[in-house]
Amino acid sequence: MSSTQARCLILACGNTLRGDDGVGLWLAQWAEQRFSLQSGVRVIADHQWTPELAEDVARAHSVLFIDCSLSLESGSLHLSPVEPVSGGPEHNTHHLGAAELLALGRELYNSLPREALQLTIGAGSTELGEGFSDSVTAALPAACCLIEETVLRLLSASEYPEPAH
Amino acid sequence: MSQTITIDPVTRLEGHGKITIQLNPQGEVEDAHFHVTQVRGFEKFCEGRPYYEMPSLTARICGICPVSHLLASAKACEAIMAVRIPHTAAQLRRLLNMAQMVQSHALSFFHLSSPDLLLGMESDPVARNIFGVAAARPDLGLAGIGLRRFGQHIIELLGTKRVHTGWVVPGGVTEPLSSAHRDEMLAMIPKAYADLKLAITTYKQIAGSFKSEIKVFANFPSNYLGLINEDESIEFTDGALRLIDPKGSIIEDGITASRFTEVIGEAVENYSYTKFVYYKPLGYPQGSYRVGPLPRLNIVKQMGTPQADKELAEFKQLAAGPVESSFFYHHARLVEALYGIERIEQILADPLILDKHVRATAGVNRLDGAGQIEAPRGTLNHHYKVDENGKMTWASLVVATGHNNNAMNKGVLQSAKAYVKNGKFTPGALNRIEAVIRTFDPCLSCSTHAFGQMPLSLTLVNADGEVVDRLVR
Repeated sequence: MSSTQARCLILACGNTLRGDDGVGLWLAQWAEQRFSLQSGVRVIADHQWTPELAEDVARAHSVLFIDCSLSLESGSLHLSPVEPVSGGPEHNTHHLGAAELLALGRELYNSLPREALQLTIGAGSTELGEGFSDSVTAALPAACCLIEETVLRLLSASEYPEPAH
Repeated sequence: MSQTITIDPVTRLEGHGKITIQLNPQGEVEDAHFHVTQVRGFEKFCEGRPYYEMPSLTARICGICPVSHLLASAKACEAIMAVRIPHTAAQLRRLLNMAQMVQSHALSFFHLSSPDLLLGMESDPVARNIFGVAAARPDLGLAGIGLRRFGQHIIELLGTKRVHTGWVVPGGVTEPLSSAHRDEMLAMIPKAYADLKLAITTYKQIAGSFKSEIKVFANFPSNYLGLINEDESIEFTDGALRLIDPKGSIIEDGITASRFTEVIGEAVENYSYTKFVYYKPLGYPQGSYRVGPLPRLNIVKQMGTPQADKELAEFKQLAAGPVESSFFYHHARLVEALYGIERIEQILADPLILDKHVRATAGVNRLDGAGQIEAPRGTLNHHYKVDENGKMTWASLVVATGHNNNAMNKGVLQSAKAYVKNGKFTPGALNRIEAVIRTFDPCLSCSTHAFGQMPLSLTLVNADGEVVDRLVR
C-alpha cells in the first residue's frame, strides 16, 4: 500500500459507461502506455477522486489531473493550474475535486506538489454508452500531445531542486 | 394551520434523499417521512441478459458496495448452476468481503459521521466535514484514510481494480492469490489495527457526550435480522438468516437464500422509491425490522475472533437485551471493522489460501436461484429466474436500505418530535435529524438501484399543505 512518490502523478477520473465522461480514463490509459518506460510517472485512473488519494497527491512532485466538464465547449481543451481549496458545507465526502484533494493532502501530510495542473476536456454528451461524441473524438490527438508535452515538462522540472522559499 | 419542514438534501449519505416534516396547527410534529426520489430499474433491465453477466452488471448499481452485489449475485448464479465453489475461492471471497466491510465502515465512521461526532452536531456547517476533522484531529483523519486504503488496496490486489472488480464470477474467482500479494496484505495489518483502535478509543471517549441524541436517534424496540453461523457467531458471506424480536427471542431461524422470498415481503409507500421490506408472517408494518451492524451484534452470541469478542462483550453491556438506539450503529461498525481485520489475518493464514483451484464450472442446472450475504449496511439478497438457455426472465434485489426503511422513517419522526418545537428549528436540530439517517449508513443508490444525483432536502409543510420553510444543501 506504500504511496509511491511519483515525479509526475497523472490522476484521471470518469465513467466509461457514460459517453464523454470516460475520456479522462481513455487518456489515462494512453498516458500509461506512452510513459510505460519512463521512470517516475504514475497513473491512477478511477471512477472518482476519493479522499484517500490525498496522500498520493501530497507526496508527488507534480500532479496532472484529467477530467471532463459539460460546462465547457465540447472537444475544447483547457490546461490550468490548480490551487488547494478546502470543501464547504456542500462538500461531498465520496469524491473530491482536484483543489480539495490538494487541500486535504496539505492538511494531513503537510505537503503539496510543486506544481499541480488540471486538463479539462469539454464534454458533449454523457448519456449512457461507451463511445465518445464526434467533437471529443476529434480532440483526442491534441489532448494526447498536450499531455505528452506537459508531462515531459513536469518531469524535467522535477529534476531540479525545489527553490528556497 | 399545520406546517411541513423539508430537509433537502440530507448530506453525507451514500446517495441523497429528502425529509419532510408535517406540523399540526399547533406547530407540533405530526408526521415525518424520509423520501428516496430516484428510480433506476435494474431488476427490469436485467431481464433478457445471460445469468452469468449478472455479477458484473449488478455491481454497477453502486460504487461504494459493488463487492456485496458481486458476491450475492455470484451466489445466486451458483444456485442456478448447482455448484459448490472450491474452498480457496470461498476463502478469497470472504477476504474480499471483509476488505470491503472495513473500508466501507471506515468511510461511514471517519468521513460521514465523525464530523458530527468530533466537531459537534451544532458546529459550523462550513467546517463540519472531512476537512474540519483533518484540522481538528489530523491523527483521526490519517487513520480514516489509512483504513480506507487498507480495505481498498486488498480489493485492488485481489481484483486488480478498487471499484467494480470483475474478479468474482459464477463458480468462484478468476485468479488465485499470489504469495507476493498475500505478503503485501499481511504487511498492512499492524497499521490497520492501530488505526482502528484509535477510532474505537476516540469513539468511547466521546460517545458519553451524546446522551440526548442516543435517546431519540431511532431508539425504539424493533425486530432485528442478520446472518449467523450455527455456533451463533457473526457471519457475512454464508450461514442463514435469523430474525429476533425486541426482547432478543428468536422469531425465525435458518432462513436460507432460497427461502427468503417465502418469508420476506416488500411493501410500497407513495413517498419513496425505496421499498419497505418486512417479515411476511407478521405483516406490514408490524413485520418491519432493522439490519446492519447494530442488529448483527444484537443477534450473535459471539464474533468468533478474540479482540472483537472482547469488544462485543462490552457492547452487550449497553442494554439487558438488544441495543435499541441507532446511535450505536457507530459503535457496532467499529467492532465489526476490528473483526474484519482479524478475519483477514486468519484467512491469509489458511494453508490453502494460495491454492490454484479457484473456480468450478457448470451450465444451467436449475431455473431459479438465490444468494444472500451481509453487505456492510445489512442483508442483501439476489434472486433470479432464468430460461433453459440461461437468459434472465426475472430478478429481485432486496437491499439493506429497504430492510431499514421503516425504522429510518420512524427514527426521523422520533427525532423530529424531539428537535422541532412550535414549528421552529435550528440548523443544529436539522443536522441531528439528518444524523439519524446517517447512523443507518443507507445506500440510496442500492436501495433504488438508482442513477445519478439525488439531493436531499428538509421541507416544513403546514396543515394546509403549504411549504412554509425549506432547507436545501
